[in-house]
Amino acid sequence: MRSMNVIQSSNSSLWRGLSAAGCCVAVIFMSLAAEAAKPKKEWKPPASKLPKVVTEKPDGPVMKVAPIDRKARPEVEAAAAKIDAILQAYWREHGAEPNTKTDDHEFVRRVYLELAGRIPTIEEAESFCAASGSAKRGKLIDDLLESPGYVSHFYNFWADILRLRERPSREVWFEPYMAWVKESIAENRPYDEWVFEMLTATGRISENPAAGFQLRDIGTPLVYLDNTVRVFLGTQIGCAQCHDHPFDKWTQQDFYKLAGLTNGTRYSINQVLFGNMNMAAGGGSAESLSAAATAFFKNQDDLVYNVSKINYERGLAEEADEIDRGSRDYLAALTKMVSNLDTEFRLPYDYRYDDAQPLDIIEPTVLWGEIPSAAQTADKRTQFGAWLTARDNRQFARTIANRMWKKVMGVGLVEPVDDFQEGNIPAIPELLEHLTDEMLRLDFDLREFVRIIASTDVYQRLAVEYDSTAAEPYRFTGPALKRMTAEQLWDSLLTLIAVNEWAYQRPSVAELAPGISVDVSAINYEQFAEAYKTYKQIKNDFRGRLNRTSYKGLQLVRASELPQPSPANHLMRQFGQGDRLAIETARQVATVPQILTLFNGWMTHAMLEQGSVIYDEVAKQKTMRGAVDTIFLAILTHKPTPQMRQLAEREIKQAETPAAGCGNLIWALLNTREFMFIE
Amino acid sequence: MSRDLHQSLQLLDDRHTRRAIMSGIAQSTLGVSLLSGWNRVLEAAPAAGGKKAKQVIYFYMGGAMSHIDTFDPKPELPDIQGEVGTIKTKTPGVLFGEPMQNLAELQDKIAIVRSMTTETADHGKAAYWLKTSYPVLNSIRHPSMGAWIVNTMGKLSQTLPPFVLVGNGNGHPGAGFLNPSLTPVPVADPAKGIENTELPEYLSEKAFKRRLSLADRIDAKFKSRYHGYQIESYDQMYKDAVTLMGSKDLEAFDLEQESEEVRDRYGSSRIGQGALLARRLVQSGVRFVEVEYGGWDMHENVATNMATRGGEMDQALGSLIRDLDSSGLLDETLIVLTSEFGRSPAINQNAGRDHHPAAFSFLLAGAGIQGGAVYGKSDERGHGIDEDPVGLTDFNSTITVACGLDPFKEHFSPSGRPFKIGGGGDPIYDVLS
Repeated sequence: MRSMNVIQSSNSSLWRGLSAAGCCVAVIFMSLAAEAAKPKKEWKPPASKLPKVVTEKPDGPVMKVAPIDRKARPEVEAAAAKIDAILQAYWREHGAEPNTKTDDHEFVRRVYLELAGRIPTIEEAESFCAASGSAKRGKLIDDLLESPGYVSHFYNFWADILRLRERPSREVWFEPYMAWVKESIAENRPYDEWVFEMLTATGRISENPAAGFQLRDIGTPLVYLDNTVRVFLGTQIGCAQCHDHPFDKWTQQDFYKLAGLTNGTRYSINQVLFGNMNMAAGGGSAESLSAAATAFFKNQDDLVYNVSKINYERGLAEEADEIDRGSRDYLAALTKMVSNLDTEFRLPYDYRYDDAQPLDIIEPTVLWGEIPSAAQTADKRTQFGAWLTARDNRQFARTIANRMWKKVMGVGLVEPVDDFQEGNIPAIPELLEHLTDEMLRLDFDLREFVRIIASTDVYQRLAVEYDSTAAEPYRFTGPALKRMTAEQLWDSLLTLIAVNEWAYQRPSVAELAPGISVDVSAINYEQFAEAYKTYKQIKNDFRGRLNRTSYKGLQLVRASELPQPSPANHLMRQFGQGDRLAIETARQVATVPQILTLFNGWMTHAMLEQGSVIYDEVAKQKTMRGAVDTIFLAILTHKPTPQMRQLAEREIKQAETPAAGCGNLIWALLNTREFMFIE
Repeated sequence: MSRDLHQSLQLLDDRHTRRAIMSGIAQSTLGVSLLSGWNRVLEAAPAAGGKKAKQVIYFYMGGAMSHIDTFDPKPELPDIQGEVGTIKTKTPGVLFGEPMQNLAELQDKIAIVRSMTTETADHGKAAYWLKTSYPVLNSIRHPSMGAWIVNTMGKLSQTLPPFVLVGNGNGHPGAGFLNPSLTPVPVADPAKGIENTELPEYLSEKAFKRRLSLADRIDAKFKSRYHGYQIESYDQMYKDAVTLMGSKDLEAFDLEQESEEVRDRYGSSRIGQGALLARRLVQSGVRFVEVEYGGWDMHENVATNMATRGGEMDQALGSLIRDLDSSGLLDETLIVLTSEFGRSPAINQNAGRDHHPAAFSFLLAGAGIQGGAVYGKSDERGHGIDEDPVGLTDFNSTITVACGLDPFKEHFSPSGRPFKIGGGGDPIYDVLS
């Protein structure tokens, strides 16, 4: 058994001796093999090493993020205090007490996870804890809100809501739209503005990436309406597509009247020309369609001619092996475009209520309130977008206020966040209304809103276990205890491995542009083939860059930069990353494969490779005490209690080599509930 | 349905009221009380000689499978039937959708119910309701049928999990309020089985145990603060993971153990490999295997999509039924295939079908089931129900009885609320053996 003396007297570091022997740190386990049943078997260290791009520091800033207004700090504090005052009155009324305050270590861990999507590094945590003064928490919040981690984390949040996948269907590209969502977050564009842009976007995704929102429900305008109202107005009118809503007030006629505003959308060039969406509703004569189509394409004949001609020649080239089959999807994607066609819209053939006849023409109207006067003469989708995002459509502000409150605090004031209805009474109505006012006062600046909530006194409290089925109601006496999301877990593991967590970023809109900004109505086949070549080059280039971050098949980059969603057996999917097929499918429920992956999977192994962040930090240590502290700080963001230290040191002494003991300790800490949950 | 009728149905939604009324009707016309249904099962079962199921393989077709194109075709109405043809089954007059080639041949071994109906066209909510018999409520987590059945019937294997889910499992109701140990173990990719079950070569079992105990003791402080449901579930999963790692039966999860020929027979699709995995797991003593297979949300091009998806499902199920039949396991295994709702009889502008909760079909086969039964009728267009409507609780109570369990016995949740396995619906005795 090794004694502490051996370590302390060594003039080289704890791990260096092993590294010098030319082995990766997994060698620390080597001598354990001797303990096992097969002592003679020669142990070979795994050949693989971490890719260089992730073990070296990036050479410049990784992302431009809109700066935060530091001077506004006092106003933020004042706004936070108002929220606290409402909560205090609520607690008094219910005899509740706020939870204990977090210490600096607890706070720094949580706020990194919540605002930057990962645990802090040792350096980040220590520099925060060592700082003095009462302003340091506010400063950290502000720092994090203008970090790339904020953009990445909130992108993941929206990706689950907006169902972002690279290919929602074979012929729809989503890369430009996904890049646009991320860029909108980085630029901190006002929420009402980017929602309006999505709801009203026309054109191809390459020239107007916001059109992706409409294309996510390509071909299904009624499903689109249901999803849109659910996400942005927190209201579920989907039932009313087929019959009056059984529990809410919405009638089938309400649904169809609203659908009259959005149903005119067309999704492809062909649809605009032939209007096939309209056949279902039973309306629209050939003349009206052709007139509408002409309005969009002045050179209608050129377009038809062009697309057919490109298609034909593409087919010939494919036969001659001069171009691959992927070009078919490429052409199809180029013809996908959103346009408005203001045709009449009818009730379904099986409408069965007394207030109208089947197939009656619908006079489009909104669910409540009025279409803002400025938009009344605009096309119907613009009318819809203007109504939905209007300041006086209070439900729009209320829905996002509740959603962002939940994002930070863990539990919405209305749950589920997308099911507001009369019977679903907010937990603290006056707080919800106050937050709605705040959202309006901030002109839908979501980051500023998050800044205020993170600055409240209640957010400085330790987490409280929330169980919607518990007899004792949750009183918002602290944020709710949450398991890390799949992305937070991935990015936290990455923090322990990668010096550069940004070794790869998805292509931006500008980077994609040369390969996709092609007007199919104005090119010939040669130009098409050239454009396809450029597109493939860009794709291959990015794929190559991504693959350079691979370790044992895992691409060691931030979750937001990985292909989405991850394959079904990826660590993130095991930990409940959403499949992005429906709205908000991510879950944080325990399953056996999660544990097996943490036990034996490659992410755990990667940590024990030379060059990983935690490996190098531990290797710098000269004493056992230093090694144990480092491991605790890196993984759990705090030093061990005396009792924990005793356990840890005993393990290191007991292990065949100190390095093996350190490996065991790292493994053990990763497999605590404390690591996985946000306290 | 008129507005008034809609409202009255809502008033009647209380199951007790409804059954009381229905049993009143039954008593006056048939002289039997449905409230004594369980007695009837006990009496009827031995008479029919039906063996009850020991194990269950449950196929869930996520996204809502079209009933018209599978088990309830409407060849008389071409505008509804669309491009997907029909195929004759063993029983004259009983037609299936054309992709059901294998199942048509096996029709004498399966029961079809054509009159299922549900209440919502939202995928997530409908799936929860289907699997638990209850709508999503904020105040309670309902257990899925798999959890109920394992909870009541127990484990068959000491080391293998009693409940396996082939699929990703996000959003699955799982154990609900029952013990977290009843949470299904998800297998995301059946071809890969359960991964990461082996310790690294350099790690001895002794060292592994030491690591576990170290983790546990360091976690003590955190656990003194937090010990609710979420934490408890993780504690349980850690125990289960360790048990599973030590299992000698792990090769049940390994499809490589099957010959190429057998794997091809089930099809390379995820449902094909999932069905084969289900067979292996049932053979090794897993009580309840659920196979999730998505991709049925065919708002577009239902004909081409049905040809592939439907064909894959038919091939998988056909091979499974044949294999279980020849090994004798079909006498002990219940097979269920269903989805959260059906698809509209009307074909939409994109040659697809939209959501349709008012009428759809499901399939039962194997232990406890009368092969060849066709129960219930949708209307002429496949839009509503003409005869013998079957609700979600009736469906789940039928599964309950097929497993030899009492569908009317009350079980209590930790908060003391009474529940029945299957939600207290009326079992469909006409399809039960």
